[in-house]
Amino acid sequence: MIIGTGITKTYRQRGSVLDGRDVLALRGVDFAIAKGGAVTFIGESGCGKTTLGRIVAGLETYDSGEIIIDGTPLSPLRHRQRQAQFRRVQLIHQDPYSALNPTRTIHQTLDAPLALRARRMGRSKAWAQERARELLTLVGIDPGYVLPRYPHQLSGGMRQRVVIARALTVDPEVLVADESVSMIDVSLRLGILALLKDLRERLGVSVLFITHDIATARYIGADGELYVIYRGQVVERGPTETVIAAPVHPYTQSLLSAIPVLRGVEQPGPDLVLPTEALDESHTDTGCLFARRCPFRTDHCESERPSLGYGEDTPQEHACFHPRPRSVIPVEVSA
Amino acid sequence: MTVTQLSPAPITLRRNFWRGVLRVLRRKPSRLVGVGIVTLFAFMGVAGPLLYPSPLPRDDHALYAAPSLAHPFGTDFEGTDVLALVVTGTRYVLLAGLATAVITVALGTAIGLLAGFHRGRWDTVLMRLTDLQLTIPGLPLLLVLSTVWKFTSPLEMGVVLGALGWGGIARAVRSQTLSLRERGFIEAARGLGLSTRHIVGRELLPSMAPYIAMNMLIAVTGAIYAQVGLFFLGVLPFDANNWGVMLNLAVFGGGALTSAAALPYLLAPLLAILLLTLGIVLVVDAMDEIFNPRLREE
Amino acid sequence: MTESFAPGVRVRDLTVVYRTPAGELPALAGVGLTLAPGTITGIVGESGSGKSTLALSLLNAVQPPGRIKAGSVDIDGLGDVVQLGGDELRRARGRQVGYVFQAAQNSLNPLKTVGKQLLDLGRSHDVADLPALVGEARALLGRMGLDGGRVLDSYQHELSGGMRQRVGIMLALVLNAHLVVLDEPTTALDMITQATILRIVKEVHRERGLTTLIVTHDIGVAAEVTDCLAVMYGGRVVEHGPTTAVLGSPRHPYTRGLIRAIPRLSGDIDEARALPGRPPTLGTIPAEGCVFRERCPLRMAVCDTVDPAPAAYGERTVACHAVGQPVAPAVRKEYV
Repeated sequence: MIIGTGITKTYRQRGSVLDGRDVLALRGVDFAIAKGGAVTFIGESGCGKTTLGRIVAGLETYDSGEIIIDGTPLSPLRHRQRQAQFRRVQLIHQDPYSALNPTRTIHQTLDAPLALRARRMGRSKAWAQERARELLTLVGIDPGYVLPRYPHQLSGGMRQRVVIARALTVDPEVLVADESVSMIDVSLRLGILALLKDLRERLGVSVLFITHDIATARYIGADGELYVIYRGQVVERGPTETVIAAPVHPYTQSLLSAIPVLRGVEQPGPDLVLPTEALDESHTDTGCLFARRCPFRTDHCESERPSLGYGEDTPQEHACFHPRPRSVIPVEVSA
Repeated sequence: MTVTQLSPAPITLRRNFWRGVLRVLRRKPSRLVGVGIVTLFAFMGVAGPLLYPSPLPRDDHALYAAPSLAHPFGTDFEGTDVLALVVTGTRYVLLAGLATAVITVALGTAIGLLAGFHRGRWDTVLMRLTDLQLTIPGLPLLLVLSTVWKFTSPLEMGVVLGALGWGGIARAVRSQTLSLRERGFIEAARGLGLSTRHIVGRELLPSMAPYIAMNMLIAVTGAIYAQVGLFFLGVLPFDANNWGVMLNLAVFGGGALTSAAALPYLLAPLLAILLLTLGIVLVVDAMDEIFNPRLREE
Repeated sequence: MTESFAPGVRVRDLTVVYRTPAGELPALAGVGLTLAPGTITGIVGESGSGKSTLALSLLNAVQPPGRIKAGSVDIDGLGDVVQLGGDELRRARGRQVGYVFQAAQNSLNPLKTVGKQLLDLGRSHDVADLPALVGEARALLGRMGLDGGRVLDSYQHELSGGMRQRVGIMLALVLNAHLVVLDEPTTALDMITQATILRIVKEVHRERGLTTLIVTHDIGVAAEVTDCLAVMYGGRVVEHGPTTAVLGSPRHPYTRGLIRAIPRLSGDIDEARALPGRPPTLGTIPAEGCVFRERCPLRMAVCDTVDPAPAAYGERTVACHAVGQPVAPAVRKEYV
């Protein structure tokens, strides 16, 4: 179980020495990833979802807030102890091409962390060798074929499976999958998604899924939680199926409205929400962050920032003064 | 059983590497020519002084003799065979060049890696040091140094040239490191808790190997030019048997620029320098393919 | 501007080969495709399917080591593009055929303002009235919801991804081309920006009377905007027809498998099924027989030896041995 409370992160934009502008990447985000659970972050690029994922994986620092891994708060720990805690969270990179060292064979790539682990646990080298084969079989590839090969000799889908196998060498509790299938051929994507889903069920690994493709999030964790992030703030949070079927925040509604309709199979949903403007980071920060683009804004929205909560008896949490469930997703054409 | 089958994997890998190198070299005839030239000079460097009696015989009746079968490049002002001078002079030139290259690359790579990998304070300090090194005017410093230091050993020469030349490589390696450390595989290695020694030695360095090897070879040619230049200028004593000294004597003693008699004496060391540089440049061409498994295996 | 400007395009038996150490390998093997005037056609396919090569062939712009080995690309008002060369070809690109390159977001020159690049384009096409060209560009950008004057004065880094994509479309249309090819127009764009761009493509297409070709790996994108859809696999068009028909009742086993491999937002998620195997690369395309047979659930003996020719079924063209035969309900069940 990983819990984060009030995580903030500020980037200082490069300007002149005197007038560098601060960009708030995360504005006090709370999250909880249950053991074996599935949590998805969605949002436009630059909304902070990737930064949050990297913070969870220990690859990025945060300015304030607290992360608690299995009851252990991280802030009192020393750097080395904290790194050891973060080892239980492994990131699956977006790009399977740069995630594997091109100068090392798959055998070498898997052997390095396994040998280290074997030493720590007092096991033999033979154990590491055997484990490498086990893990590759687990992710659905033939060890005999893959082990002696270099990354460039494998297809994108195979590489991503190797990357997942490498993450599994340290028996992690959480896999952070940041757009992990966006660079893989369409017909192979579902295989990788099914593998992640399978790992959840078989190993009890939790998956933190970061994506802009909401349908893949639904495939991996329909029983999980969905976080909709906008400009560093969680604007809607709830059970994945609920948020998809009846989103209440206008931002979630515009994200879901933007999903292409598979005409012939689906038809557009009854409601459609279009943002009134394009995203502009220089918008003022007073009031609701989405107010400028929101088709339903009122004066209230521009003066006060709504906070995340169960206002107006919605089944999910939201940060909106005027929550109203709308049905925006494409619906299947009945045959 | 499966385990025992796996253990020879690294060995087969190594054999594959050399087979790959051979395949890369065979791809272009120019590379084979380059390897041939470099091997020839290496042989001259190792065995050259053993081929001739020491000191080299003089022939007082044939000063500045024209090229002949006995003296393919003629003789010098004392009647010594020019070819013999070039061959015996190779060892000093090559040793000094190699020493320079090793020191340049070792210092430059270590400092660049350290600065790029640790960033922060390390980076600031090491880069200021690098800037300092880059601002030292090499030639004037060498001229001053040579008044007190005779550079009789090629290694001494190499140490001085190396200490004056690592700045560029340090900067380049640092920028390579900075871009590589953001790559997924380095991040993954850190996330898996692998040691810094493993990350730098096994993940970062091999990715930069073609780059470092190329720089090393280019540093050799640079060092050859530098030392030959110093000797040619005459700022260093003549007691070393050296291509630069030959050039100096041919131009200033033999008047090679005005009379034809000393021309072969001038051309022989020049040709040696050109040929060696050419050989190295032809080999450099293959470095990228040798160290990149993708290009090597294809 | 009226519909009559929109040219039709007929690709016949197009074969494009790439020279490799293993000999010349076909990226396109005898492709036939007709774009009806005034329609938006989508080409979908995975990496290595030949979709980008086909798009480049419309401009006769296949780069070495590739070359067009056989076939013709007949564009109304231009003739067979494969036979064009030199200056004629250069003028046709831009004037008659506008091309928005893959990753158009990064194809602008970072050192020049958009306006300067527009003028360069005008000069290289001998446009006499440059002020009119700038006016036209400004109007186009305005149509796409941008402040034309401001954008023309901007450098690439001052524009967002969606804005750059619109600049790319503007540059493809400003010389009044009526055939537009968009290669992966929305990759690397956000959902909301993607929806905006797709809406613009549709609107501009209608208003200017264009024939548009969209090349993409994303079936959703193609489904959203196209009238006709061509599905490519292993250098062949395996299915082609009206978009709603191809998606609603796919007939080629690849199209069916591909649609079933896409997770969706409504309906039963467990219906999604991965397609077994993986798409062929240039080197692994089988020399004879059907290119899809290794992954095909309907594989028959004939598939190993005979490459199925595209056959017409009403408005649809399908290249599959199993499709012509009466389909037993039990086999159909697999795909429902």
